[in-house]
Amino acid sequence: MKLRSRAALAAMLTAGALVLTGCGAGGGPAGGGDTAGPTGGTLSIGSLVDVTSFDPAASHVGHYMQYYQPVYDTLILREPNGDLSPMLATDWEYDDTQTELTLTLRDDVTFTDGTKFDAAAVKANIDHFKVANGPQASTAASIEGVRVEDADTAIIDLSAPDPGILLYLAASAGFMGSPAALETEGIISTPVGSGPYVLDTAATVTGATYTYTKNPDYWNPDLQKFDKIEVKPMQDVTARVNALVSGQINAALLDAKTAPQGTGAGLNEITSPVDWQGLFFFDRAGAQSEPLGDVRVRQAINYAIDRQTLLDSLLLGNGEVTSQITGKASAGYVEDLDDYYDFDPKKAKSLLADAGYPDGFDLTLPVNSADVIINAAIVQQLADVGINATQVVIPSTDYRNEIFTGKYSLGYYGIFQGDPWVAINHHIGPNAAFNPLKYEDETSAALIARVQAGDDDAAKELTEYITEEAWFAPFYRVNQLYFFDDKITVENQLQQAVPSIYNYAPAQ
Amino acid sequence: MLIFLLRRLGAGILLLFVITTITYTLLYFSSDGIAQNILGEFATPEQIALKQAELGLDQPLATRYLDWLGGAVTGDLGRSWFNSEPVVSALLNRLPVSLTIVIGALLISAVLAALLGVAAAIKRGWIDRAVQLLSLAGDALPSFVVAIVLVTSLAIQAKIFPATGFVPFADNPALWIMSIALPITALVFQLVAQAAQQFRSAIIDVRRRDFVRTLRSRGLSEREVVFKHVLRSAAPAALTILSLQFVGLLGGSVIIEQIFALPGVGPLAVLSTTQGDIPVVMGVVVYTVIMVILVNLVVDLVNGWLNPKVRVS
Repeated sequence: MKLRSRAALAAMLTAGALVLTGCGAGGGPAGGGDTAGPTGGTLSIGSLVDVTSFDPAASHVGHYMQYYQPVYDTLILREPNGDLSPMLATDWEYDDTQTELTLTLRDDVTFTDGTKFDAAAVKANIDHFKVANGPQASTAASIEGVRVEDADTAIIDLSAPDPGILLYLAASAGFMGSPAALETEGIISTPVGSGPYVLDTAATVTGATYTYTKNPDYWNPDLQKFDKIEVKPMQDVTARVNALVSGQINAALLDAKTAPQGTGAGLNEITSPVDWQGLFFFDRAGAQSEPLGDVRVRQAINYAIDRQTLLDSLLLGNGEVTSQITGKASAGYVEDLDDYYDFDPKKAKSLLADAGYPDGFDLTLPVNSADVIINAAIVQQLADVGINATQVVIPSTDYRNEIFTGKYSLGYYGIFQGDPWVAINHHIGPNAAFNPLKYEDETSAALIARVQAGDDDAAKELTEYITEEAWFAPFYRVNQLYFFDDKITVENQLQQAVPSIYNYAPAQ
Repeated sequence: MLIFLLRRLGAGILLLFVITTITYTLLYFSSDGIAQNILGEFATPEQIALKQAELGLDQPLATRYLDWLGGAVTGDLGRSWFNSEPVVSALLNRLPVSLTIVIGALLISAVLAALLGVAAAIKRGWIDRAVQLLSLAGDALPSFVVAIVLVTSLAIQAKIFPATGFVPFADNPALWIMSIALPITALVFQLVAQAAQQFRSAIIDVRRRDFVRTLRSRGLSEREVVFKHVLRSAAPAALTILSLQFVGLLGGSVIIEQIFALPGVGPLAVLSTTQGDIPVVMGVVVYTVIMVILVNLVVDLVNGWLNPKVRVS
């Protein structure tokens, strides 16, 4: 398994390098992979989620991207390796204060209702995105407004430097719909964008199959590798594996238990670590649970966890153990930190004794009802070093909101490994939802300020700092197990639950 | 007869009111995190407050419930909080799929169960033992296990049926039948097992009654006795079982719909419940209660037609 994930990574990196060189030499519109090669046929993919609304302001990231990308172009395109390339915006530039982002736009793009794409359309979309209060609205929180300089130039004003904004413009906040359709009722079920495909409403069955056909006037035919795309919501993994193995769909995400069926049927596999899982120490100040305020106690818990055994038994080895919360592709990744905490119960006990808890202590562990097995393992491993954890089981639908209230001093969770600024806003910074007790100290505040100013070294220092200070007890990065048949080729999309729609192509 | 109908309908409406009130109250107490669920992990407290005001989540229970009820009595169940789709149209889109599966399974199992039940009760011997064995197997095997076995053997190995999906009848009747064949078979297996056993016991019981002996003594053929008289007397017990099974199916088909990725009410119920999409959850509850009331009404009417004694009571 280890070998295979390494091979996949190598393939990913090579592919990324190819794209990079392609971009550097040509500088033309990006294509998310090869631009040559066969085209035509139908791409059919099974999705873990069902689209809720085609309003671009209601769009979501991750699994949902595959529903929106066929019909909506983004301002910026995120390449499979994470690089940013031109799409509707051909160029972008910050001013010296990093609060004014000037976008140069394509002048040859028309929405499928005939409306022209221009700077006014960008303004209409971002204004709409901000007020519609959709699931990704907070990604535009730093945007104060958009100015229309001329038809091909839009200026985005930011309230403060936001290193994440370009990424967000390559995702939900960057989806551009026709301004004429944005405020209408119809956009919920009938998208009107400028994307490579249009939704074929006659062939679409809500909740079962969303059928997209080629947009005949599309400005970049290189992205139209198939004649038709079908996205089928299949929440149940059994449905996905059955559909995939019987040839009803070309590609879908499986899990550790169904993966052997995919492999057994001779399907191709992409593994990529998207999330990390482990313990969050919310109460680093020791306000609720005094022992957790001591760094030695948090380190002791890190040493008490047998990561490899958990990975092998619960995820059948589909992942890689780590002591840091940062992914390999992030600017904040520090290779040496992956094995910073090994499994060492003796060391854990001595750290606890040093901290004044030679006989351990009691704590309360909130347990997501969907994760009872791993929590039972955590309780056992903590007990082995003398820590007595009392479990409070919370229904999985309420778990996240319950830990956001700040009632609990720690908790187990699995979370996306984003770029440094995304991770800071998500679970590190004082305003992050996964930092419910708003913990910060001088060192972290100074490092976060430097990351915000675009300093990548600070991102690495921040990773080192929070790993050494044991803000978390990360267990492992979990592999997404994406399977596809021989009729297509698929390139992995960095940091995304499933590949972008542009990464699929008919096989040679 | 009319009074009987009106009384039943009145009781049904009261039941609907009571159940929706209880459900709404229960949902009210778990609605704190909904705005957060809609807006995602990054949402700021201001955004959450805004969304709560937009959805009316900042209102007291009574206001919210009366709002909902006011709409519901005029046939407006509101819109999904997550995708703004009108709840009524979401249900109407998905109802045909679920009802096709449930009613199809019920009809087929009723016919099969009646045939097997009669055969077992009259012939006894090996047929009886076989039916008993089948009942035991049907009870022991949950429908989702049967479904997975069917998919693996007939869809993946033999490639006769599609493994997942639904084709509307209007699009292609032949593919429609193929797409519902496996889900219905998976449900039928367990239904037949239970109902056949009921038919068998009821028929054996009725055949021992005095009036059957009298009928025989008047020279009626055994065939006439069984199909004209015994079945009629044994039917109410079996019908009751079928109506109970229908109610069970409304829940049981949820899993089957998930396994076969059918766009029925099941996935909608699961998704809306996990998300906390209260208007949709309420819509699903209203639909389920109405179905239960209707089926019970129909069963009462059929029982009345079969057995005049019931009408009097």
